[in-house]
Amino acid sequence: MLDVLGPKIRKGLDTLYLTAGYLAALFLVVILLLILIQMMARWTGEMFTGAPDYAGYFMAGASFFAFAYALNNGNHIRVTLLLGTLGKYRRIGEIWCFAMATVLAAYWARYAIKATYWSYKLGDVSQGQDATPLWIPQLSMAVGSVIFTIALFDNLVRVIWFGTHSAQAQIVSEEE
Amino acid sequence: MEQLYLTLIFLFVLFLLLGTGVWVGLALFGVAFVGLELFTSRPAGDAMITTIWTSSSSWSLTALPLFIWMGEILFRTRLSEDMFRGLSPWMARLPGGLVHTNIVGCTIFAAVSGSSAATLTTVGKMAIPELRKRNYPEYMIIGTLTGAATLGLMIPPSLTLIVYGVTINESITKLFLAGVIPGLILALMFMAYVALWSVVRRSEVPEIGNRLSFMAKVRESKFLIPVLLLIIVVIGSMYLGLATATEAAAFGVVGSLVLAASQGSLDRKTFIESLLGATRTSAMIAMILGGAAALSLSMGFTGLPRALANWIDELGLTPFSLLIALMIFYIILGCFLDGISSVVLTMAIVEPMIRQAGIDVIWFGIFIVVVVEMAQITPPIGFNLFVMQGITGHEMNYIAKTAIPMFAIMVLMVFVLILFPDLATYLPETMRER
Repeated sequence: MLDVLGPKIRKGLDTLYLTAGYLAALFLVVILLLILIQMMARWTGEMFTGAPDYAGYFMAGASFFAFAYALNNGNHIRVTLLLGTLGKYRRIGEIWCFAMATVLAAYWARYAIKATYWSYKLGDVSQGQDATPLWIPQLSMAVGSVIFTIALFDNLVRVIWFGTHSAQAQIVSEEE
Repeated sequence: MEQLYLTLIFLFVLFLLLGTGVWVGLALFGVAFVGLELFTSRPAGDAMITTIWTSSSSWSLTALPLFIWMGEILFRTRLSEDMFRGLSPWMARLPGGLVHTNIVGCTIFAAVSGSSAATLTTVGKMAIPELRKRNYPEYMIIGTLTGAATLGLMIPPSLTLIVYGVTINESITKLFLAGVIPGLILALMFMAYVALWSVVRRSEVPEIGNRLSFMAKVRESKFLIPVLLLIIVVIGSMYLGLATATEAAAFGVVGSLVLAASQGSLDRKTFIESLLGATRTSAMIAMILGGAAALSLSMGFTGLPRALANWIDELGLTPFSLLIALMIFYIILGCFLDGISSVVLTMAIVEPMIRQAGIDVIWFGIFIVVVVEMAQITPPIGFNLFVMQGITGHEMNYIAKTAIPMFAIMVLMVFVLILFPDLATYLPETMRER
């Protein structure tokens, strides 16, 4: 059962992280375009009201959607001084880290969902000139933090079962 | 008394989560939760998410990914090759010779990239083998490069300054401009050190062969000129009030895309790679900032910042001794944390302190950057040391040792900044506000 499902789940999860990462990258391009359009509008004497607010929403989206993607590429920073001294007990340290991180991210995600739900329910509208219903941009925070929680839990399970995870730094060759 | 116990628990959780290796952003988030639960009866989760949303969807934050992206694009061009080729003819006649290409190269790349790791890699990739070929002593090559790469944090665009500005809600444009002159002075001080070395240890300086005519030099460096123009446009547009930091960043991205395209080093693959790299780095910083936003909310309720500010006030410290104490504090903190994390972690406490002492916050931004720069080249966690180890394969301790003179120069720079605060505040005060 697990033999058949396992690789499929693995592939599905990796696709999920990667898709969210690409979406975040797309949001960065949108931010660039929004700012360029706003600059051009200003030079030609036009007004593009709300552009800063929209750029802010896409900024949040670009961040939250890329949390899991950055984790799996080892981009998120942490203090590895103590972990490095654990030697063969490092796996226990990693389990603690991923377990703590999963709990904290789950808490984060729970309240992100709650905030988005209530924005929708109460019809909250942005205070700025854009007057966007807030639940739409907040959706990125809710979905992104859920994906991040899944990624952390996924890594936790792998550390417990196989002793490996994918949150290793790749840019810098650390002491490990 | 109960307050004291609560504070101790709060600090214990902070050290526990950060020290055991929980990712910084999540660790700060966890500490914020504990603080809110201990000191208030407010629903912690709701309050934290509101703060996180406000801070992570802010307009001024958008400068961050764009400047990172700009650096990522130029990192993938031939800039590294062009840098050494273009600079070496000009540096050959300076006392100390081609070692200066390390410093000037870092200064230039620092002005297009906000990270010192990228600066170090780009300049080092070409300069290290070339300098070795010409028999410059290894300790000078490694030391000057490790030290000068920290300019990436100070010369705009600087990621640390963006993070500082967002955290304390000050103008990023002003902070950027404040970094220009001190950054250049620090670079000059590094160069003066190289010149001094060439006089004291004359025998170590290799002879340089053929000298080029002026026009030949210009021809060699023709690829560098567009980069210099891009830097002038990005910084100049902010100074003249033509663009905000974010707009200058957008301009920088377009400019570097054009530059890369004209060099023929822009294809689908490098475009996507640079974009994805920027996405990941900016998400990493965004997570720290999110956690830090929650933490500063929580810190406010603990009363810790106010108590400390009052305590410092009662001690009757002069601003000078306060700054020296802070410098030592940040150097120690930097032994365990990277620059950005140590800034966001401490600002909730340090900001009231410096405001109370009447220290200009824009000036303090530059001060704090120099101080966390030093931490980049001190073991055990100095980030530049890791990168340098990756490039050269030298022992960390050896690299740290070669960088000691640079460290001393930075300490000197701190005193220069304290004695002549105008170095940092002149440009932001004379800039045109839009």
